[in-house]
Amino acid sequence: MSTLTLATICAALIWFALTAYAVLGGADFGGGIWDLLARGPRAAKERAAIASALGPVWEANNVWLIFVIVLTWTTFPIVYAAISTALFIPLTLALVGIIFRGAAFGFRSAYGRRIGAAQAWGYVFSVASVITPFVLGMIAGAIAGGAIHVHGQEVVANYWTTWTTPFAFACGAFALGLCSVLAATYLTAEAQTNGDHQMLDVFLPRAILAGAVTAAIGAIAALLARWEEPLVWQGLVGKALSLSLGAVLVGLATAGALILGRYRLARMLVAAETALIIGAWGVAQYPYLVVPDLTLQNAASPASTLTLAIICSLLGMLILLPSLWYLFVIFKIPTGSRPTETAASFALSLQEQEEEQCTTTPEDAGAESRPGGQLPNEAE
Amino acid sequence: MDNLTAARTSMGVSLAFHIIFAALGVGLPVLLMVAEGLGLRNRDATWYALARRWSKAFGVLFVVGAVSGTTLSFEFGLLWPRFMGFASAVIGLPFALEGFAFFLEAIFLGLYLYGWERLSPRAHWLCTIPLVVAGAASAWFVVTANAWMNTPAGFTSVNGKVISVDPIAAILNPSTPTETIHTLLACYQVTGFAVAAVYAFALLRGRNDTYHRRGLALGVLLGSVIAPIQGVIGDASARHVAQYEPTKLAAMEALFHTTTGAAERPFGIPDLTTGQVHFTIEIPKLLSWLAFGDPNATVQGLDAVPRQYWPDVITTHLAFDTMVGLGILMILVPIWYWIAWYRRGKATPVASTWLLRALVALGPLSFLALEAGWIVTERGRQPWIIHNVMLVKDGVTPAPGVGLSLLLFVGIYVALAVTTVLLLRRIGRQPKAFTADEDHAPLPAEVG
Repeated sequence: MSTLTLATICAALIWFALTAYAVLGGADFGGGIWDLLARGPRAAKERAAIASALGPVWEANNVWLIFVIVLTWTTFPIVYAAISTALFIPLTLALVGIIFRGAAFGFRSAYGRRIGAAQAWGYVFSVASVITPFVLGMIAGAIAGGAIHVHGQEVVANYWTTWTTPFAFACGAFALGLCSVLAATYLTAEAQTNGDHQMLDVFLPRAILAGAVTAAIGAIAALLARWEEPLVWQGLVGKALSLSLGAVLVGLATAGALILGRYRLARMLVAAETALIIGAWGVAQYPYLVVPDLTLQNAASPASTLTLAIICSLLGMLILLPSLWYLFVIFKIPTGSRPTETAASFALSLQEQEEEQCTTTPEDAGAESRPGGQLPNEAE
Repeated sequence: MDNLTAARTSMGVSLAFHIIFAALGVGLPVLLMVAEGLGLRNRDATWYALARRWSKAFGVLFVVGAVSGTTLSFEFGLLWPRFMGFASAVIGLPFALEGFAFFLEAIFLGLYLYGWERLSPRAHWLCTIPLVVAGAASAWFVVTANAWMNTPAGFTSVNGKVISVDPIAAILNPSTPTETIHTLLACYQVTGFAVAAVYAFALLRGRNDTYHRRGLALGVLLGSVIAPIQGVIGDASARHVAQYEPTKLAAMEALFHTTTGAAERPFGIPDLTTGQVHFTIEIPKLLSWLAFGDPNATVQGLDAVPRQYWPDVITTHLAFDTMVGLGILMILVPIWYWIAWYRRGKATPVASTWLLRALVALGPLSFLALEAGWIVTERGRQPWIIHNVMLVKDGVTPAPGVGLSLLLFVGIYVALAVTTVLLLRRIGRQPKAFTADEDHAPLPAEVG
């Protein structure tokens, strides 16, 4: 296979990982956004619904971003170097947001309930969930914008203006909106799965409203692209026209599915919508990876590296995807499928048996032959 | 502060921080597998209570390990874009594979931590197996990349651009076998001694029961199985360094002049101006024998390379001696423990308070050894970022604000470290019995 073909496959893999990150990790950021916006008497219950949706999966979702990064640096090293150099400031901001989002969520869970510290970390979690997708959106806008130049190995870009254009801000707002739509739609579907009408009433109107707002921001971003970023605009209405139109149609279909009460369908549609948007971005700037100097052809690693990266990614997915599927089946499927005896209930029953034994027959307690616990001589 | 100093400090702080959590993330699954396995097989509630406690601590540690690992994946590019632009076509792949391993670890950790109430006892225990495998795999892959920086292989370059790559040869570079195994064993070692220290401390406080004695025994068991093997691997590692990185060995041993029949000089402060080592003892010909198996072998000194290519001799030498000294201690103290265990019988309280105190001290000291070992391999390679291929100063970013980001990240790490310690203490204070899980459904807003 030619290097270009291999490079295109690698770019498709990166696109796949980026889409997975947006669809899954984006929804986790969206959860944080709704956590921040939770108000009134139902706020606690909303936050609990968000936390239980995120808890088991957010760390796995976060790894898609690491994939995007390591696949990029393996297959297109100069792309990673150029983006990291030119966008040093927003990437550092995004990184701080990612650290605080993850750590704060974990810390809040570990503190449990009714603790001031849990509340403080909860606040950190939700604020970081707003900042991070916004900055990531700005970074995407900057990469598409065409102000990062690479001459040989030297990166030439303004460290501030590259990512602070009106278009980049619109991209940031759009990313933020998309995350909130993803989260609200998933939470609506999950409320239906759990038979929780109260949460359904909370998140359904938010999903529709956020969808409308995000669509409006998307339209503004497109107009800004038309005026300020001719390359992006030409791509979106040229090569990527079918994907752009598809994104609009699927967006409308998502709203329709929500209004008609088909929430699980809406969940799939909004994920497809996200994939189409990221796909449209990618196709619009094909064959450029960083407009206007780095292309699939001139930025790719040697063919041997690309080939092995593709083989490893495919083999890795063979292990990864079933594991991921298992994770989502266990935590995202109706609660009726749980086993009768769980690890926790088994351990608790052992403990009760043991307490009974200790109170009734302490004298025949052999040191290690009996189940552990309180030995008579332990009181000393 | 110039970019180079700021970037080096930033990278050093990030790695020193991450390595602690990464090591525990590799080692703790082994203890979980054993403890919960014993609970399941022997129908034993105490082993379950231990596994449950460790799983809560692991949950916190893994979060910090995951976010600090994400930080590193950003920082490689943010701080060293020119290094990554050059090298990642060659060594990107192990990071991608590490990514898969880490992904599996995150998935099965989610299943393990949140699955106590969802999975059958057997399925829940089985989740520890991918955790063990993925933890070991991710450590192995990521260390192959560091090994490549020490002994680069598998590529040709022209004018600072890599033109052909053999990624497999890069992964299996000369340093890979010894360095990966040495690091992997270190992960298990520190986990064992860290856990032992926690329970030794509890026993000193008079909490002498099966729960705490078992926690201690399992930790010491892991540490004492690994420590002697680590001695053998460490020795192999040093001999490898003697052959492939003679300058690093010279810095480790503070050997200023190329010497035939070189003496081993443990301890001591190297004096860079006079080329002498103060406050040391000399064991004649031992270094030649240790490095090459021949008491009269010639060992290359620092004088074989120009002064500007010398590593940081003082730090490398002191870190090396610290690591070796603590490594020996980690072999000896467990022997003391097992002798006491044998003489007193396994069910009775553990021997002397001095033994317990030694075990408490060995917890933090084992981490010191881990950090020291990492300092040896990194500082000993200076001024090269890729040994004999690229200098550190040629890899650094030209971007502004690196000093500011260093301050920012130091602040973040302090906040993360303090919170982690507070949370671990909180987890430690909970009743030791197995409890139904409420912690993962936080309702912090109920306060307000």
